[in-house]
Amino acid sequence: MKLFGSLLSLLICLFSLNCQSASYQKVAEHTLFNGDKLTEFRLENGLQVLHVPRHQAKVLTYQVWFRVGSLDEKLDAKLKKTGLAHLFEHMMFRGTAKYPDGVFDKLISRMGGTGQNASTYFYRTNYYESVPSDQLEALMTLESDRMQNLQITPALFEREKGAVVGELRRHLDSPVSVGFDQLLDGVFKVAPFRFTVLGSEKEIKGFTLEEANYFYKTYYAPNNATLIVIGDVDAGKLMSLVTKYYGEMKSQEVPRHKVPEEPPQTKERKIYTRHKQATSDSLLVGYRIPTVSSPDFTSLALLATHLSTGMEGRLRKLLVDPGIAVSANGAPSSRPDLFEFVVSLSEKHRAEQALAIIDQEVARLQKKQISEKDFQRALNQEKLDMYGNIGSNSSLANMLGEYLVLSGDYLLGFKMLSAFEKLTPVDLQKAAKQHLNKKQRTIVVIRPAKRGGKKS
Amino acid sequence: MKRFLLILCLISAEVVWAGPKLLYEEDPTLLTTTIEIVVQSGSSEDPMDKTGIATTIAELLLRGTQTKDRATFQSTLERMGGAISGSASHDTIEFSGEVIKENTDAFLDLITEFLTKPSFSEKEFKSLMQENLAAIQHIKNVNTRLGGLALRREVFAGTPLERPTQGTLKTLKAIQLKDLKDRYKNSFHKGNFLFAVASPLKKSQIEKKLEAIWNVLPDGKASVSPEIALKIPSEPTLIVVNKPHTSSGSVLMGQAGIVAKEPDRYDLYLGNFSFGGEPLVSRLFNVVRGALGWTYAIGSTYQAMGSLSKQKGLFMVYTTPSIEFTTKSLFKILNMWDSYLQGGLKKDEIDLAQDSLVNSYPFGFDSANKRLGWKVMSELYDVPVLSPSEYESKIRAIGNGELVKRLKKHHTARGWIISVVADAKVIQKQLDEEQKNIPADKRFKIAKILKPEQIIE
Repeated sequence: MKLFGSLLSLLICLFSLNCQSASYQKVAEHTLFNGDKLTEFRLENGLQVLHVPRHQAKVLTYQVWFRVGSLDEKLDAKLKKTGLAHLFEHMMFRGTAKYPDGVFDKLISRMGGTGQNASTYFYRTNYYESVPSDQLEALMTLESDRMQNLQITPALFEREKGAVVGELRRHLDSPVSVGFDQLLDGVFKVAPFRFTVLGSEKEIKGFTLEEANYFYKTYYAPNNATLIVIGDVDAGKLMSLVTKYYGEMKSQEVPRHKVPEEPPQTKERKIYTRHKQATSDSLLVGYRIPTVSSPDFTSLALLATHLSTGMEGRLRKLLVDPGIAVSANGAPSSRPDLFEFVVSLSEKHRAEQALAIIDQEVARLQKKQISEKDFQRALNQEKLDMYGNIGSNSSLANMLGEYLVLSGDYLLGFKMLSAFEKLTPVDLQKAAKQHLNKKQRTIVVIRPAKRGGKKS
Repeated sequence: MKRFLLILCLISAEVVWAGPKLLYEEDPTLLTTTIEIVVQSGSSEDPMDKTGIATTIAELLLRGTQTKDRATFQSTLERMGGAISGSASHDTIEFSGEVIKENTDAFLDLITEFLTKPSFSEKEFKSLMQENLAAIQHIKNVNTRLGGLALRREVFAGTPLERPTQGTLKTLKAIQLKDLKDRYKNSFHKGNFLFAVASPLKKSQIEKKLEAIWNVLPDGKASVSPEIALKIPSEPTLIVVNKPHTSSGSVLMGQAGIVAKEPDRYDLYLGNFSFGGEPLVSRLFNVVRGALGWTYAIGSTYQAMGSLSKQKGLFMVYTTPSIEFTTKSLFKILNMWDSYLQGGLKKDEIDLAQDSLVNSYPFGFDSANKRLGWKVMSELYDVPVLSPSEYESKIRAIGNGELVKRLKKHHTARGWIISVVADAKVIQKQLDEEQKNIPADKRFKIAKILKPEQIIE
């Protein structure tokens, strides 16, 4: 390890049941590179807790992550639906017997809560807010209550479907959003990433109360969740409250669906489509890549920074500066595992022109290593991003949670930063050669409605 | 003798420190240094037919200096783990930068260079213009932006605020490089500059570096932008931006807002919290989304044009209902507004808003950058930064009677300019249906139908 060897020291240790209460374990402690202490706890019922104390301000961020998303609804033999995980996330704000519809939101607002929201993706659902630290117990009362006592009434369920349809309609009016849906549909023929998180209007309107209740009872279990608290609270106080409010919940068997493996792609796929709201072309290209835990993913991530970050990012120089596109980015995503290029073309230019330029650039990356200067630029831009974000309670919680549910390792974001330091331009060239090849890519071109299109 | 020495010290203190105005937040836990450079000369000073000068300067200055071309300048900056962006508001040109802390000195050297020795390269100017024209064309793809621009055109018609800070196709094409050089010469002087820095380093270290900029800036007095009056009609005026086949409508409703230093802002913010400002608990959210299920996003804000400033901004209600509920939502909001304007809030709503605003106040100061933001706001717009207890006293003192008085002072029941981005035929049909029991001459009508192209021309 060069620079980051000293920055990231991992002091993983396993403690026995000698903490304040026998109902939880301290699983590990870590010192992050900025000096923060991160501790992992686990309750007997399986609830995982990640905690970083920070006392600079009397506030804290509180996030609950569930290892359930839209993949599960499709793979669950009792459901086989699309859009339920997301609709259900909305219902989590609709009340319990103790705190009926609207009361939960008012109480959090009254305590000074900010940033209260939730999101659903293929592999996870998360709920989050930040509150003044003296409101922790009040917040935990509410959060733990909705995790076990949600009451979904038929009337509220039907009303919420309207809001979700509104969300879907907005999505459908955006050409690039629809382009993403089409890209995933084009890439995945077996894995359920081809089904959208939002679902279709017909499916949303057709969900039953029984399905929603089944989903809740099956997947919202303590052993399927992680609580992340970052801010002005000490571990002792936090765990005493967690034990009080979450400790009585019962662990249960949560179905673990094996996501069907997508066969390797051996031939380029192209989808041409039209969108009534589009006034210029959009181009999306997705290359199949390995998972986030793979060493090659790290190389691809740094390669993406070289391509997409800053005024000197290659795609900006090649596509935006000459006026061919108004925006151009390339980045790896995980679950679905793709390296995606997304280009919004200027009106006078066609997607094919952008594709030809991307192809030339990829060929250049495969043939020749990037310069040491460019490599250093990408590396330091990664550091800037991480250094700028780690100070924010919510940004740090987001990073820990996302990597945890993606890979099982909440420290993966820090490890990746450390791994970047060990890479060389040769690694980036190798990754480009191995993973950015035409046979394993899918291209989506969205054109304005007038121009016409074809499907191949 | 002692008195004489004291006077001498005071005089010498004034003479010795002639450096820039620097707002500073030192925080040893920070891993980066962030800087905000404000030049108090914004797009409201752009000539009407050349709107976009201020924004173009902000961007062009980052594209090369007299000793470094754009590529050299930017790659030096980015290689040191830094980033700087330039933008303009109606009141200011601003540069925001951040760098990993160990490279702060080199970063400040680069800032000195681009601010004091810009290249004004003809090649970069042409390239930037091409890029910005393409970006403006692309606005046609974004319905919420189209709606915002349509609203702005109407509310600020005939004033420098009529157009967006980045200009329109026509005004950008009219700008020459000479216009930028002239503006730079006239506006980049000592009287207009404000520096704000958050860093783990000592203030003196930063001051020393910034002196290099200060020493070469010419003298000058701060620009004073005149306050621009809004044109708000007495009856609701509906403008439809025609986009056929949308599956949702983008609705924006604007009334006159407030300036940053408006003393009534505490009352108005508290009222708006419960009307539409606070997601999940506001009236608009609870009724139009929660009870009726017509929309996903709905809210209202006094910051429709970014942060409050010297100019009176807009108070705006926004929503994106499913297309079939677009005019229904519009009528519902008008009714709810009327009820709010006439009766204010219920006691439990005021209690909730007071508790929430007071309890969440610390979040405005929980990081060095946020604290710095307050200082900048206070310096630029004469807004007092209240301590938590002062703020609580202000908020707790607000009652419904006072709120209604303030609402009536600043707002009207029907003085709305409304933009809807959707299929004009569908909207017309919905209006007819919704108003079928109202005589034709008294119906709420579409005042204007615009094409997206007209908004950006």
